[in-house]
Amino acid sequence: MRVTEKTGSNKKSNYILRKKLTPWCILFFPMAFTLWLKYYPIFSAFFISLFKYDPINPPGKFVGLENYTGLFGMQFYWEAWQNTFIFLLLQLGMCFLIPLIQALLLNELVRLKKGLTTLYILPALIPTSVNVIIWKWIWHPDYGVANQIVKFFGGEPLSWLSDPKLVKFCIIFPGVLGGGLMVLLYLSAIQGVSSDIMESAALDGCTGFKKIFYIILPNISFMIFIQFIISVITTMQLLDAPYMYASGGPSGASTTQGIFIYNAFNQDLNYGRGSAASVVLLLVIAVLTMVQMRFEKSEKE
Amino acid sequence: MKKRRSNGAGLGHGKSERFLKTVAVIVSLLFAAVMLYPLLFAVSSSMKDNTKIYEVPPKILPDSANSLTMVFDYSGMNFESDEQQKDVMMQDSVLSMFAINYKMTQDSIMEIHVYGVKDGKTMFHSRAHQMKLQMERDYGIYKSSAVKKEVLLHEERYSRACESIGYEYDENGLDVKEIKFSQEMYDKVEDVLTEGFGTTGALKGTETHVNNLLNLESFRYYLEMPAYIYPKSERIAKLGFMTFVLNSVIVIGFAMIAQVFLCSVSAFAISRQLSPRAGKAVLLFFLGGMMVPFASIMLPQLIMYRQMGAYNNYLALLLPFLYPYGFYVYLYKGFFDQIPGSYFEAASLDGAGSIYLYTRICMPLSKPIISLIALQTFISNWNDFFWAWLVTEDQKLWTLNVALYNISNNMGTKQNAIMGLSVVTITPVILLSILFSKQLKQSIVASGVKG
Repeated sequence: MRVTEKTGSNKKSNYILRKKLTPWCILFFPMAFTLWLKYYPIFSAFFISLFKYDPINPPGKFVGLENYTGLFGMQFYWEAWQNTFIFLLLQLGMCFLIPLIQALLLNELVRLKKGLTTLYILPALIPTSVNVIIWKWIWHPDYGVANQIVKFFGGEPLSWLSDPKLVKFCIIFPGVLGGGLMVLLYLSAIQGVSSDIMESAALDGCTGFKKIFYIILPNISFMIFIQFIISVITTMQLLDAPYMYASGGPSGASTTQGIFIYNAFNQDLNYGRGSAASVVLLLVIAVLTMVQMRFEKSEKE
Repeated sequence: MKKRRSNGAGLGHGKSERFLKTVAVIVSLLFAAVMLYPLLFAVSSSMKDNTKIYEVPPKILPDSANSLTMVFDYSGMNFESDEQQKDVMMQDSVLSMFAINYKMTQDSIMEIHVYGVKDGKTMFHSRAHQMKLQMERDYGIYKSSAVKKEVLLHEERYSRACESIGYEYDENGLDVKEIKFSQEMYDKVEDVLTEGFGTTGALKGTETHVNNLLNLESFRYYLEMPAYIYPKSERIAKLGFMTFVLNSVIVIGFAMIAQVFLCSVSAFAISRQLSPRAGKAVLLFFLGGMMVPFASIMLPQLIMYRQMGAYNNYLALLLPFLYPYGFYVYLYKGFFDQIPGSYFEAASLDGAGSIYLYTRICMPLSKPIISLIALQTFISNWNDFFWAWLVTEDQKLWTLNVALYNISNNMGTKQNAIMGLSVVTITPVILLSILFSKQLKQSIVASGVKG
């Protein structure tokens, strides 16, 4: 009897409760999986880095921060950072500016623009594995095209990927051609510059290269900075390309942070050290990401 | 325009603008040429033959492909039985084919026909492509053995080789076109055969002609090659290179479906059912998950997956896509936010539940964004290598990237074959991206809005 009396208010509170609960029911699965697949490994990395990890009988012996101190005492670890930074400089020097130049020039074209943008995207869609196959053959000391060009100009043949001094250049250089996605982003940013500004600039006599330097570039500086940060973040994580080109060699010259971590657990079976390096890398990238987000936020406001 | 140029200031502007345009055209075309070069280089290399690929300096275009026909005459020879006659013809066929393939490497002979003639009747015919012979020598029946008469004809090897290459035999005579002999390579062929590869039948004559389509036929054998390299795996032996294509399709297809579904569902809840504040917090939670760099969690992730048993199976390849990418959720949310609220209110008043709202209102309206997300997932994930490489030991699980990496590191594999497989891998993608270039560009630009 009492139940029927209460149904009215019950229904209402039920409805509100249901309305509040449904989104969380829907979100439960995606959130749980994100937590499990993405956030848990971070804590797990931190946890493992505190142990002398034993894969057969985990987690092994607790050693505190010993893995970190050991890591910072390793010359090879600092060399890996050094390599990462040289990669970064090469990447910024060679691959960062070229897409910008391409986009600025493409913007001036009329008939060729559409076809060339498509053409520029194509190399960016080629997977690294194929790129590596093609470029390994180009860099080949005996049969490659690179040495033919060197010989044509009267130089001595080089050993390219087997040369510790050249290997970083050889790995980054193919990226010069693969910046198509960035070209497109720059191009859309350039086209987003309001036509009022462009027209009034043209009336004031600001045309040709002057227009590029005084009008377009300042107006897309936001995009340039974002791309800069993204370049830095992706280069910090460089893993596939140096691994596939040279497996981190010769004599460790192309060992980046990613390859260092991989070698730590794959070759040395030192899971603790690998995790410690993972945590340090994560912190560095987190700081960079924070800078990027802060900047984007300020730009929006 | 002409009028304007005549006054001073206008002239200056016109000039600087025109100068910029000229520079733009020239430099852009130059860039385009440089970008196209590696692609064309790959295509050209993949069509070179097994010797020409190692020629220095490398030529830009592959040589024209030759087809060689050899006719052996058995007239006047008496064989104990029909079987034996066939056997002898098979021996001669295998012997001459491999001898020519081994000795006459400079002549770009991509195809060899062998005919056996007796008393005016053509009884035997076999035809082999250069790549087929090369594969038998590199990985097949004659793996790591010298090309010598005794080795080629050792035990039953020649009959197995002949079966693999394919032949026709009919003692009553086969239907064949008349062969016009030419002298072009006759002397060379005769020299090769008399020097250590003596055949039973007498070389009656040879014929050569150019057929450049044979360079394209090489691709057929490139696709079969994994079956030769990894004969122990049943699936690869059956499907060849398509095994890896199939794996990639499975992984990427799953990723696309999973992302489209998970992201839209999450975005629906965030955009339509949560308060703005809670929605923002959840979105940040997803975005944070996406920004975790792979390099720094690959070790704990590997340990975790191994403990779950997700190692060396499809689960390990597919599971990483089962959480919504924060950025796609963000794109979806932006889209759902724009759907007028009155749609939902009207439906809710009629008693529609969440499932109805999602399937009947959100989904039909979001066709453009679905294609965008699917495309974006494809672009960013079909390049994935390291994770797939870490968790797959079994060859039949390799995705395209892993397979290409492993095959290219296999010392015995010829460069033209590797290039051929690369070309096979990228051609469909390039064709599709040219076809759908508009959607592709939109999708890339949309992804850059956030950065």
